[in-house]
Order: sequence, then structure tokens, then C-alpha cells
Amino acid sequence: MSKMLVSYATLGYPKEKEYLEFIDGCVKEGSDILEIGVPPKYAKYDGPVIRRSYKQVSSWLKDIWPLLKETRDRVKIPIIILTYLEDWLPVLDDFLSNLAKIGIDGILFPDLIIDYVDEYEKYVKKIKDHGLKAVIFTAPSVPDPLIQKVSKISDIFLYYGVRPTTGVPIPVSVDSLITRIRILVDNKLVVGFGLSDVEDMRKALRAGADGIAIGTAYIEAIERGGVQDAINLVKYFRGVLNEF
Amino acid sequence: MAIEREEILPKYWYNIIPDLPKPLPPPRDPPDAEFSRIDLLRKIMPKEVLRQQFTVERFIKIPEEVREAYLNIGRPTPLMRAKRLEEMLNTPAKIYFKFEGATPTGSHKINTALPQAYFAKAEGVNHIVTETGAGQWGTAVALAARMYNMESTIFMVKVSYEQKPQRRTIMELYGGKVYASPTNLTEYGRKVLAENPSHPGSLGVAMSEAIEYALTNNYRYLVGSVLDVAILHQSVIGQEAMKQMDILGEEPDILIGCVGGGSNFGGFAFPFLGAKRGEKFIAVGSYEIPKFSQGDYMYDFPDSAGLLPMVKMITLGKDYVPPPIYAGGLRYHGAAPSLSLLIKEGIVEWREYSEPEIFEAAKLFAEAQGIVPAPESAHAIKAVIDEALKAKKNHERKVIVFNLSGHGLLDLPNYESMMKRLSK
Repeated sequence: MSKMLVSYATLGYPKEKEYLEFIDGCVKEGSDILEIGVPPKYAKYDGPVIRRSYKQVSSWLKDIWPLLKETRDRVKIPIIILTYLEDWLPVLDDFLSNLAKIGIDGILFPDLIIDYVDEYEKYVKKIKDHGLKAVIFTAPSVPDPLIQKVSKISDIFLYYGVRPTTGVPIPVSVDSLITRIRILVDNKLVVGFGLSDVEDMRKALRAGADGIAIGTAYIEAIERGGVQDAINLVKYFRGVLNEF
Repeated sequence: MAIEREEILPKYWYNIIPDLPKPLPPPRDPPDAEFSRIDLLRKIMPKEVLRQQFTVERFIKIPEEVREAYLNIGRPTPLMRAKRLEEMLNTPAKIYFKFEGATPTGSHKINTALPQAYFAKAEGVNHIVTETGAGQWGTAVALAARMYNMESTIFMVKVSYEQKPQRRTIMELYGGKVYASPTNLTEYGRKVLAENPSHPGSLGVAMSEAIEYALTNNYRYLVGSVLDVAILHQSVIGQEAMKQMDILGEEPDILIGCVGGGSNFGGFAFPFLGAKRGEKFIAVGSYEIPKFSQGDYMYDFPDSAGLLPMVKMITLGKDYVPPPIYAGGLRYHGAAPSLSLLIKEGIVEWREYSEPEIFEAAKLFAEAQGIVPAPESAHAIKAVIDEALKAKKNHERKVIVFNLSGHGLLDLPNYESMMKRLSK
């Protein structure tokens, strides 16, 4: 079974037309899962690049739903929404039910296990009750027994963010991090957060990751050279994954 | 004897992060950040120090060169019994203390200055920079730099620079360059001086200057407390103490330390906590800086300048201005994230004592053991006395161990002033 490529896009970034071009390219060039970032009020665990993309999009995208629906209609691979629980708490049921209604597959809240650790089970149940898949985000600071526990209830895969924030190459020993948790995770393991360096990716895969999640690198490519550059990157990363 | 010393000095630092009961909330950038503080860390801290800051490995090997430096400054520090204090309190409890005042710089701060300097040197940088308030941390950095034949620049808060010339002298003896902050060396300093030419300086200003100076010259910036990596390095204290307790055939019941940012308490207590030794852990703060009783557990900046990433901690707010108590090391608005989490979870208890109370404790300790404790450490001593008296009341043979994080011989002017004010 080939390794999973989870490609991230910020909803609507840089503009609607280019965004749609990019997600089409993501699928065409071999992404297995699409992760769509809905700009939050406060991107607590995102680095400067993703934050820039949120800020840009927030300036013009007032209603996320038509574009989310358009995304769903064009793309056949699973779509996971990435956004912060903190923002949606006041309207959580409506939010989840709308996502389910337009056919979104799952949701990932990066702050669930970190900021709501005492009640994460309640929220996971809520997500599942709405017919959505709950993809759980964990990080090196999550204690071993908790990783073990949530890996069993995470749908599709368990997300493991190796760095404290997206897109900032804080030095970490990716291979030893993955080796350490691989034995705890009874599920598919997707590694991301600051993982855009190809050597890091190879280390993660060699250490037993089932897939990788890429985001910042695409946004940077769009900033630098436009959507086609980012699509080329998807193809390139697919190639790296196919080495395994 | 030399062999024994080497055996007591640990080969690994101990990291409590994987043994915490809950995930440690990660450092993060503030909302609407105009620049990434996390990214800034990457540019100013030695790479290996940053890696250690974010690692989840339980044990991290201490480089041989750092172990040698630890031995050279007199580690392991002694673990001593305060027999006469026990007698004076007439308690059935046994009282031991780890004496970090026995290092050349007079406090525990050198334990993290050495490895941070070493890792800067290892990546080819020959100059380290930091800020200092009262001077303990700056002294440790100046000595660490000298031990690895490096240069050091220390931005010392101007009022302290003028009021504590002895501290400056020590740093200069070690070869450190000490400047009264605000200076004309940095853009930030020049800006502050332009607004107020007689600005007295502050830790926040000094820190901003140190970071800017490191950044523009491609030097490395050393961080003294609060960040978990400093606690990691300080774990030599607790690990040595555990071995020393083993040699004595003692098992600790109560472990006590004072808290400024949390690095001496964490370094002392966390190895015991991780090894599940000890039934009660007490972190002692100052009544005048009531972070434990009145602080909130929330995301806040570790520095008043807001240049470092926000961390989740018990805090009085970064803009809180601590009153001028003599325990300068406790004049800090927050407590390290790992320690804050352990207090919130009820695993570590806290106490707060006022200056008159700690003065009495310091005096009693000096009379009993001959050691003048740093005013910071006197807070721990006050808690020790209370626990020892409680043991007496309950007829319990408790074994109390505390960290005497520094001596008070550079605080004599403060003691003189306290004596005048507080002696009956």
C-alpha cells in the first residue's frame, strides 16, 4: 500500500479561481486526501506563512460555504476541514451539520487535544454523531498513554505534528520522534507540521509514518511563483512518497 | 574522591515533558503577530538548545565537554544535613539541603549557562549575549563564555548596574563586556534613550537589546529561566541529590524549592517527581509577588518586551511590575509552563511568604548552619521550617529535602537593610 499524501490548501487562497486550479492539481498529481484550512480568528498553532494566507483570504472571503461546496463538488478524494475548535464552539452543532450536509468527510481541530484535553471525548462523539469523521491531531507534547488512547478513535489516520508550529523549521529529531510513537499508534500515522524538507519527509517515512501532510510549502510556492509551481510540488512530493 | 564525584554527576539531563499528566500546551505566536516569535528563536538560540527545548526524549546525553565543565566548577554540589537547624526547631524531621551556592557564581544559574554556551560554540559561534537584572544570570553567562574561550556581552539593567557594582566587577573579571541598558549599541536602546535619556532600564528593555544585538551580529542569545530547556539543564541538581540520598540511605518525603521562573525548583524537584520519589512537592514564591495565589493560568509572554513566543503558564501578566523586594530572582510575573501545569494539576503544592517571614528564616538558617542564604532561597527555608514544625506537631519522622539555590553573600546590603527594618 503506497504512502499517503495529504495536501493542504487554505480555502480560497490566493483567489477563488487559482484556489480551484490548485485543488484540481492536487488531485491530479496524486494527493490521497485534501485538507482544507478554514481561516480562524486566531491561528494558534500556525506559523507565519499559513497565517499570511488566512489573513489574505479573510480580507475578501465573507461566506465560506459556497466555496466549500464547490470544493466538494469538484473533488472525489476525501476532504478534511482544518480549523480551530475555539472559533466554532458557540455554533459547533450548526457548523458540523453544515459540513456533513455538503458532504465533507471529516474534521481536524489542532487545538482539540491540546486546549480541550479534559473534554475531547465529548467533542469527538459530537463530530461522529454528525456523521463526520474525527481526525485527531497529536503532537510530541502529548503524553504517551493519551496518544495510545486517541490513536484508536481517530478516523482515517492519526495526525502527528512534529513541530510546535507549522512552517517554522525548529530543529527536531524527526526520526526518533516517529520511532518513539510508531509503536503506540494502532492506526495510520500521518506526519506533518513544519515537514517540508524532503530529508525530513524521508526520515519520517523510514521511521514508519504512513503518510505526510504538506501545507506551508505549497503556500510558499504560490507566493513565489503561482499555482502551477505549487502543483509541481505536489507531483514532486508524490514522487518522494513513491520511493517507499 | 574524584571518582566518586564523577559517579554522582549525571550523564544525562532529565526531561519531565513525557512524564507530565497532560499535554504541555506548546509555545505559540500571539494573534495578529507581525512577526513570528517562534521563528525568531530559531535565529538567536543555538540549534541544539532549541532542539532540546522542543524535545520529548526523557533523557538527553550531556556532552562530555559539558560534564567536564560541570566538574570544573565543583559539581556535584554538596548535599548537606541541616542538623543544627533540626535541633533548634526540635523536630523529629530530618532536613537535608542541596547547596547550589557552592558553585563559583554562587547560584544554580551556571548549570544552564554552560551547556548553552557550549552548544553555541559547537556551531561555530564565538560570542554569546544575554541580559541580566540583579546580575546572577549575567555572571553565569560571563563565566560560561570564558570556560569555552568565547566572548560575552551582557546588557545589565541600568539601575542594577549602578547599584550593584560588585556584580559588574565579577562579570568583568570573567572577561564579560557589561553595558548599562539602555545603550546606544542597539536600535531599540537608542529609541528608548531618545524618548527618555535618563531611562533607568528594565529587564524587558535589556532583553530586547540582547536579542537585537545577537541577531544583528549573528551571535547567540542565552535564555536564563522559564523556557523548559533551562529546567532540563538544571536537572543535574535533582539527579545528583537523588544519588546523594541513596548514598545516605535516605528516602525523601517532602521536596521544597523557591520559584522565580521555575528553573531551580524544576531542576531540583522534577527528577524526583519523574522517579516517583517523594510524597509532597512544594514550590515557594513571594507573598509580595502573588503569582500562585492571584495569577491566572493562561497564555502570556515570558518577557515584558513580548519578543519571545507566548507560553501557557501561571502569570500575573507580562506588564505586572513587581514590587522591589530583595529577592530579585523572584521578581518575575510567571512560572515555567511545565511547573505551572503540575501546580494546576495539584501535583506540586505552593506557598507564598512575605519578606519579614523569609528574613526570620534566613537569619535562623544562618545561625544554625553558618550559611547566609540568598533571599530567594530563604523562601524555601521558610517552607522547610513550617513543614518541620508540622512534623513535630504530628510526631512524624519526615525527611525534608530542599534546594538552597544560592548563597546570599552578594546580598549583604539587602540583608543590612532588612535587618534595620525588620529586626526587633
